[in-house]
Amino acid sequence: MALRRGRGIATIEYPTGMNQGGDPSQAWIKIKPDGRIDVFSGTVDLGQGSKTVHTQIAADMIGVPYEWVTMNNADTDSSPVSFGTFASRGTFIDGNAIAVAAYRAKQRLLEVASRMMEVDAEDLDIGGGEVSVTGAPERKLSVEEVASTAAWSYGEMLVGSGAWMFPHVEPDKETGECEPHAAISYASCVVDVEVDDETGEVRILRILQAYDVGRAINPVLVEGQIQGGAIMGLGLAVLEESFPFYPSLEHRGAQLGTYVAPGMRDLPEMVNVVIEDPDPVGPYGAKAIGEMANNGQGPATAAAIHDAVGVWVTEMPARPDRVLRALEEPREPRRDGRRVIFDEHLSTATVSSREPGPDGWLFPLVGE
Amino acid sequence: MKAVGASLPRYDGIAHVTARTRYVDDVRVPDMLWAKALRSPVASARILRLDTTRASRMPGVHAVVTHRDVPKNVVGHQEVWGIDPDEPLLASDEVRFEGQTIAVVAAETEPQAQAAVDAIELAYEERPAFTDVRRAFDAGQPQVTPTGNVYFYYPDQPQRQIRKGDIDAAFAAADVIVEGTYRSQGIEQLPMEPAVAMAIPEPDGRLTIHSATQAMYYSMDITARHLCLPMGRLKFVGGTVGGGFGGKLDTQVEPIAALLAMQAQRPVKWRLTREEEMLCSSTRAYCHVEIADAMTKDGWILGRRTLSLHDAGAYMRTSAYSCSKHTFHLAGAYTIPACAFNTFVVMTNRVPSAAMRGFGVTEASFAVETHMNRVAEVLGVDPWEIRLKNANRVGDSSPSRVVYGNPSTVSTLLAAADAADERLSGEYASMTNHARGGELLPAHLVEQQSEPRTHPLAWRDARPAFEGGK
Repeated sequence: MALRRGRGIATIEYPTGMNQGGDPSQAWIKIKPDGRIDVFSGTVDLGQGSKTVHTQIAADMIGVPYEWVTMNNADTDSSPVSFGTFASRGTFIDGNAIAVAAYRAKQRLLEVASRMMEVDAEDLDIGGGEVSVTGAPERKLSVEEVASTAAWSYGEMLVGSGAWMFPHVEPDKETGECEPHAAISYASCVVDVEVDDETGEVRILRILQAYDVGRAINPVLVEGQIQGGAIMGLGLAVLEESFPFYPSLEHRGAQLGTYVAPGMRDLPEMVNVVIEDPDPVGPYGAKAIGEMANNGQGPATAAAIHDAVGVWVTEMPARPDRVLRALEEPREPRRDGRRVIFDEHLSTATVSSREPGPDGWLFPLVGE
Repeated sequence: MKAVGASLPRYDGIAHVTARTRYVDDVRVPDMLWAKALRSPVASARILRLDTTRASRMPGVHAVVTHRDVPKNVVGHQEVWGIDPDEPLLASDEVRFEGQTIAVVAAETEPQAQAAVDAIELAYEERPAFTDVRRAFDAGQPQVTPTGNVYFYYPDQPQRQIRKGDIDAAFAAADVIVEGTYRSQGIEQLPMEPAVAMAIPEPDGRLTIHSATQAMYYSMDITARHLCLPMGRLKFVGGTVGGGFGGKLDTQVEPIAALLAMQAQRPVKWRLTREEEMLCSSTRAYCHVEIADAMTKDGWILGRRTLSLHDAGAYMRTSAYSCSKHTFHLAGAYTIPACAFNTFVVMTNRVPSAAMRGFGVTEASFAVETHMNRVAEVLGVDPWEIRLKNANRVGDSSPSRVVYGNPSTVSTLLAAADAADERLSGEYASMTNHARGGELLPAHLVEQQSEPRTHPLAWRDARPAFEGGK
């Protein structure tokens, strides 16, 4: 009867944007007569902060302060298509659409400034809300002046629109061959646990992780995603389950009091390392961080439990009853020549009444 | 100052934490009605009788909708990807999961709406439920759908599959074959804000729909198709949502609130209770994965066979999509020259599973990574080292034959080892993501190496933006 500690590791990879592509996003931008920027995009901020990230992209792309940009994603009458906020696509795909729209709006600003300053637009650039001549920074106009002149003197409208999509691909029926994603993010996750071998309770003490996100547009929000995802992954690893006696439908938790989601008392110590290996296609090199952040903790925890008490719990979550059962009825793998077969009691080979196919249990239908 | 790369404060953070952000349920308009639903009490049943006559005469009731009131009752969430629609907005002659929506009432108050729901007369004949995906191919099981319990991606092939390299040769050459079974569970998305929508009939004949959807145009498209209306008749208002995690892609409250509003000619709000959010809305899919790895005794993966059974629940929603995605990621972050992966979408009498953070891949990662740790144990190889040597490198080929341009498996492993004070031996500590060579390019991986491809045409539109903006 003791508290036993263990450590486990997992490495994961995760695609950016919808699998097989075909998920467009669009944006349009108008510049007010005082140089303030309105970005319209049908994207949704779920609370993760996508509006902030999109604002940062638009501000830098045009060359104005962040505070000058207003994100408008309120309704479908004014905002163009976004396929939606899911599939880890917001920063990358919506971000690319907004970046293209911002680039084009900036070109319109530069055209007007070029007329005002009698300098080729290619020789102008915008930074900090000012248009200046490349190589002669003292020759400059404020973006306010340019936008005002465009509206009130030249009678012109400053707008830009953009769209972005990874084209849809169909996998080959036989081989699955295709290029299904726009980019891939990577991560490694170390989990330290303490297992009570009397009660079967697993406590996650530390989560140490490294994520390559291409470019952290907003480092605090990236870390927020990593932390939030890790807590969700902790729930997956040791706490939560919709149907606790799966595959039975019985005893489903219907309220927050009967469904065990992670709470503040479950929070482990966390160390998060962000690696920035820029993606050639993402906005400013960014790749996805959203979904993948809850994928590594489960398998790392299973390995940590094994390290602590010497048994494999291969059904998530590693609840006390599962850990105790594994401790009380240890199951050694069956060895058959070169084959080492774990978990036979859980497999289709045992549970299904069908005969195995010609290639064994992994291929119940192939060749029939 | 550059904004990109700066930890700027949240655009809307102060408003969120001081409760000044206006979410859908905060929006109140005059003459608003409230909705409540009649739901299936059982996992599988034939509906014998559904009578709303008495309910519609109850005090305060202004509208009652059943399947008979939906212009197009069956609309799929994945029709754009060629997946046939299968799920009715409101159940007609049968129910396939507990909590399935059968009828919805709009009344002056929520208690009045609930009283009318309780007055709806429903008679049904319960049927045995099918719940264990491992029996999907067994004879004599209860049938969830008229076409059986296994979805067919192609008329003659149910599974999404990967075939790469010579799998039989890989297993013949293996020193050790390690087999294991893994199951990841269904969980709730558990957003702070349950699903909610409010539909307002406008004087010009249009409908304004306030929605907590994660995808306004996607939900507007599904709503328009249920109502048989052009998108121009609808205006979705949203964009600020109290957590989604995938669960708010399912589009049910919006079209039903719209139908009630059209029938009552009054604004209608429908907000799910926490119990409904947990019992009646989608979960993450349970996923049963069996893996067999053909290994050399020093820890190279020569080949991998997998069988995945995805518990889709009673209707398809996004499961066919999720299972394709799952299949592409069954090699994990490693380069495996011979792959034979089979993934089946299995229908059960469970609440439909749908999008949930990482879906498809979370399940693959749990199975693949737990298996990698077991393989390391069986072979007596260090779990860091087995990962580092098999990790994707520049120019390696994925199971679907994507050539990796900038994989960073090795760099994240080394950074995690550093953070965790793990001392790796010099040979491993100095590894990089660069293309394979020397001892890291054994004979079985030679054909996996090629030049990374240039990007497809669709990228080009974005290029000038970054050349101008960097």
